[in-house]
Amino acid sequence: MMLLWARQVLAVLRLEMRKSFFARRGLWIYLLALAPVLLFAAYSYTATRERAQRAQRSTAAVLPLERLSEIQPEMTRADVIAILGRPGHRQIEKRRRVTHEFLWYSDARMDFIVHLTNGKVTGVNRRESANLTQDTLLFAGVFQFFYLRLAVFFGCLGVFVNLFRGELLDKSLHFYFLAPIRREVVLAGKFLAGLIATVVIFSISALLQLWALSMHLNAGDVQQYLWQGNGAHHVAAYLGVTALACLGYGSVFLAGGVFFRNPIVPAALVLIWESANWILPAALKKISIIFYLQSLSPIVAPAGMNVPPPLALLASTTAATPASLAIPGLLIMSLAALALAAAKLRKLEINYASD
Amino acid sequence: MTPDANTIVFESVSKFYGEVLGVNRVNLSIPPGITSLVGPNGSGKTTLMNLMTGLIQPSSGQILVRGVPPTKPERLFQFTGYCTPFDSFPRGLTGYQYVYSWLRLSGRSNAEADRMAWDAIDRVNLRDAALRKVAGYSKGMRQRIKLAQAISHDPAVLVLDEPLNGLDPLVRAETIALFREQARAGRHVILSSHVLQEVDAISDQVILLAGGYVVAEGQIHGVRGEIQDHPMQILIRCDKPGALAARVFEHDHVVEARIHADRRGLLVKTRDPEKFYLLLNQIALNGIEIESVAPADDDVNSVYEYLIGEEAAL
Repeated sequence: MMLLWARQVLAVLRLEMRKSFFARRGLWIYLLALAPVLLFAAYSYTATRERAQRAQRSTAAVLPLERLSEIQPEMTRADVIAILGRPGHRQIEKRRRVTHEFLWYSDARMDFIVHLTNGKVTGVNRRESANLTQDTLLFAGVFQFFYLRLAVFFGCLGVFVNLFRGELLDKSLHFYFLAPIRREVVLAGKFLAGLIATVVIFSISALLQLWALSMHLNAGDVQQYLWQGNGAHHVAAYLGVTALACLGYGSVFLAGGVFFRNPIVPAALVLIWESANWILPAALKKISIIFYLQSLSPIVAPAGMNVPPPLALLASTTAATPASLAIPGLLIMSLAALALAAAKLRKLEINYASD
Repeated sequence: MTPDANTIVFESVSKFYGEVLGVNRVNLSIPPGITSLVGPNGSGKTTLMNLMTGLIQPSSGQILVRGVPPTKPERLFQFTGYCTPFDSFPRGLTGYQYVYSWLRLSGRSNAEADRMAWDAIDRVNLRDAALRKVAGYSKGMRQRIKLAQAISHDPAVLVLDEPLNGLDPLVRAETIALFREQARAGRHVILSSHVLQEVDAISDQVILLAGGYVVAEGQIHGVRGEIQDHPMQILIRCDKPGALAARVFEHDHVVEARIHADRRGLLVKTRDPEKFYLLLNQIALNGIEIESVAPADDDVNSVYEYLIGEEAAL
C-alpha cells in the first residue's frame, strides 16, 4: 500500500511541479524573493562606494586620532582645522536660516564627522564602515522582519492557497477526484510540490541575499567567517529556517485554501495572529509559526533596529525556545493543519457553479 | 442495504444544494447494460451521476456502486470511469498526457500507463492529435479525449454525461458501438443525453427524471406500460385535419387534438386507443381521406413527453 501511495504521490508531483514553478500568476512570488537580494546588492554597492570615498578621504587627510579629544564645543572651523588639519571632505547645509557644516575625517576604518552649527562646533560623530559583524546583524534583522514575515509568508500564500483553490477556479479538480487515489494522497502530493517549489525559490533567494551582502566585504574575512567561524552554521541555519517557514506557512495556507474561498481571509487571519504573537499568553504563542522560526534563527535580530512605524507591528520579537522543542513544535502544527485540510478535503464537493 | 456486486443502488437518496433541490428520495437499482438518464435541464441527471461518482455527497440516503460507496474513490475508480460534463482540463497537458497522467495517478507503472493510454486513444480515434495540447482541441476532440480517459482502464462501470455531444456522425456511431460492446460484456454504461432518439436507440433501460424526481424507470416498453393511465398519442395523416379534429373531439376518450405543423395531419391524444381506432374506421367511411395512422409515442421522446411535459420534451 505504501508503495502504491508513493507512486501516486510522485504522479501528483509530476503534474504539479511545473504549475508550482512556472505559473503565470506566480511571477510576483519570484519578484518577492528577488526583492531582498536587490536590497542587499544595493547596500553592498553603497558600502563599496563609501569605502572608496573613505579611503580617498583618509589619503587626503590622515587623522591624528589622539588629538580628536581636543575638539571642544563652540570651537570655530579654523580651530578645528588647526588641530586636525584640513578635512577630507566638507559639506554645508542650510536649514531654516541655520548653517550646518560637516568636516569629514577618516582613518580608513571609521569616519569622524565634526558638526558645526552657524560656525561653532556642536558635536563629533563617528560612523563605522560596514563590516562583517554589523552585516550579520543587519541580515538577521532583514531575515526575521522582512524575509520570513513578508516575503516567505506571502510567497507561501500565493503558492499553497492556490493548490486546491486554483484547481477549483480552473474547474479541473475533478481530474484528481475521479482517479482511484485517496484524497489525502492528492493532498500530500500537492503539498510536496508546493513545498519543493517554495523551498527552492526562497532558499536560493536566501543564498543570493547572503552573497549579495558579502560582495562588499573582504573575501578573506568572508572565507574565515564561513569556514573557521560560525558562518557555515549560520548559513545552514538560515536555509533550515527558510525551509521550515515554507513548511509551516505552506501547511497553514494549504488548509486555508481548502477551507476558504477567498484567500484574503486566511491571509489576514494568519498575518494578524502571527503579528500579535508577542502579546499572546505563553500557551497561545506556541500556536504560531513565527514563534518557532524566531527561536531557530541563528542570530537574534537587534531589538533596537529602526523599524518604520507601519512595520513596527511586524517587528515584535518573541521569547526563544530551544531547537529541540521548536522543530517538533512546528512539525506538529504543520501536521495538524494538514490533517484538518485532509478531513475537509475528504468531504469536499465539486460544484464549480458556486465556486 | 445489502451490497450487490452487480448493481448500482440508490437507496432513498436526496441531494439539496442549500435550499435548492437536486434530487429527492431516489430509489434505484440499476443492472448492467446501457441505462440512460433522461430529463430536461435541471432535472437531476448530472446530480445523479455526480452522486454516483462521489463528486458530491448525498444530503441523505446511501449509494453503492457494485458494492462500493462513492466515498471511497481509491476503490470506486478502480472499476469506474466518468466522462464528466466539465469541459476543462489540467493546464498545459496534451491529450496523451491527460490520459497517461490519470493512469499514473491510479498507480500504474510508466510502461503500463503508456500502453493503456495509447490503447484508449486509439479506441476513440485520436492518435493523430494525441500529442497536441488539449487546450487547442475542438469540442468533439475534447469529448473524445475525455472518453478515452474514462475507458482507459477498461472499467466495469462507465458513467457518461452527454457523451455524444459534439461528435461527428462517424465517431458517434463508433462511440455508440463502443457502449454496446461494453454492455454486452456485462458492464454498466450509464449515460445521459439530450438527443433522445439516440438514447432510445441504444438504451437497455431508461430512467426518466423531472424536477429532481425519478418519474419512471425500466425498459423502454416497460416504462410505457407503467404509464397506462396517460393518454396515447396517435398521428393521423389526412386531407382534412380540421374536420377530423371536430369529429374526434365529440368523444370523451379524446383528450387533445392538434393539427400537425404541415397541416396534413392530426396529432390525437386518447385514453382509449381501441375505441379510437374503431372511431377512425367510421370517420374514414364518412368522407375524410385518411392516408396513414401511426402511434407517435413508442419512443423515449413520447414517453418522456407524457411524463414530464411537452415543452421539456421539445
